[in-house]
Amino acid sequence: MSDLATPVRNLAPQTAFRVLVVDDDPDMAELLAATMEAEGMEPEVVSDGEAAIAAVAAAPPDLVLLDVLLPGTSGFEVCRRLKTDPLTALIPVVLVTALEDRESRLLGIEAGADDFLHKPVRREELMARVKTLRRLHETRRELEAQRLAAEVEHKEALHKALSRYVSPRLTDRIIGAAGGAAPFRTEAERADVVVLFADLRGFSRITETIRVHHVVDMLNEYFWVLTEAAYQHEGTIFNMAGDSLLVGFNVPFAQPDAPARAWRTAMDMVSRFAPVSAEWRTRFGVATGVGIGLCRGEVIIGNIGSPHFMSYTIIGDTVNTAARLMQMAQADEVLVEAALYESIRPLVPAGRTHVREEVVLRGKSEAVGVYSVKL
Amino acid sequence: MTQDVHTVKVSKDLEDLIPTFLANRKKELDTLRQALTAADFEQIRQIGHRMRGVGNSYGFDNVTSLGKLIEDGAKASDRAGLETHIAAYGEYLSNVRITYE
Repeated sequence: MSDLATPVRNLAPQTAFRVLVVDDDPDMAELLAATMEAEGMEPEVVSDGEAAIAAVAAAPPDLVLLDVLLPGTSGFEVCRRLKTDPLTALIPVVLVTALEDRESRLLGIEAGADDFLHKPVRREELMARVKTLRRLHETRRELEAQRLAAEVEHKEALHKALSRYVSPRLTDRIIGAAGGAAPFRTEAERADVVVLFADLRGFSRITETIRVHHVVDMLNEYFWVLTEAAYQHEGTIFNMAGDSLLVGFNVPFAQPDAPARAWRTAMDMVSRFAPVSAEWRTRFGVATGVGIGLCRGEVIIGNIGSPHFMSYTIIGDTVNTAARLMQMAQADEVLVEAALYESIRPLVPAGRTHVREEVVLRGKSEAVGVYSVKL
Repeated sequence: MTQDVHTVKVSKDLEDLIPTFLANRKKELDTLRQALTAADFEQIRQIGHRMRGVGNSYGFDNVTSLGKLIEDGAKASDRAGLETHIAAYGEYLSNVRITYE
């Protein structure tokens, strides 16, 4: 069949609706292409099944007009392959065939063809079917675009809401996770976590001497600085109460460098708060600073509370130790539990560290070694 | 012997395609004659099938109807019938006249 010449067709200007014509008979292929072109569509012609698959992969068309009896891979097989590939399944396929028997029609339906056109082709019928499929295809595309736009809008709203509670990058991972809030498991679990507890030194003096609306503004400014530092190093904020902030690292996602992240967060908290503290001293005459406790160890992670109010949080000795260290820390001092300190020692500025007395925690017989770093 | 002139009306927008279409039909006729000499009924059937599909699509009803006769004749290995139909095809192609509208 390949000995026949291909008719010369005047090419139409490019249009948006692309039609792939697959026919080994050059006269039939060019007739179909010319008909599409006369209607302002953009046809591409190939003459066998494998070329059709390759053409669809290279530039997915909006419609395929597919002959059945092709050399090599048949039109049925081409149709079946297009319809079983998720990337091409939605492209409408019209089988154009001179086969009239019931079995051929059934094979076409089984292959997933969207429509049939019998040879000899009646051009009016061809165009009526193509126009119908074009409308359907374009409607489907519009609906898909609308669905995607709605999904993006929803995710953006969710992102905005969640970003008030967790770091922006953590928010991205939560929203991107299959099943939505997958990182926040419903069942409690144990995990190795680096805990950072921070609070404001001089807060009680502020509440006693400064007018209430100033106090709220000051607290917001303080928390703004601390949460920015926590988010910069991708910590997860678990609790904000009074003037204290609880941040976890290596939770709910693994962070192999969690000790370094926690240490850098502590340094950033202190350095970012320094200018704020200086301004408060000038405006209100109060001495403030950040006291921080750092501890690494096993914690229990879970959603804790009642059906009416629930917190995704961490609890356990490690959290208690960090809280105790925070209470002991003076302004701009970071108290680090000894084992954690060993893993961050190279990061700590020289000459800033000294060993503090060991701390005995309530209910514990063994004391905890503590290092103090003054920033 | 006077031969009939077969007039075919073809859509104006297909005018560019018709010279190649007719040239392909004449090649097809030569192939049919050779295949009949070689008794290659499968090739004749395939060509008949193609004629059936393409003829009327361009407005050449006789190509489609002769294609069906040739396809059926090949399936039945009806050599005598095929000789008649192929001869009729040759006569048709020699005397077809086209008007564009």
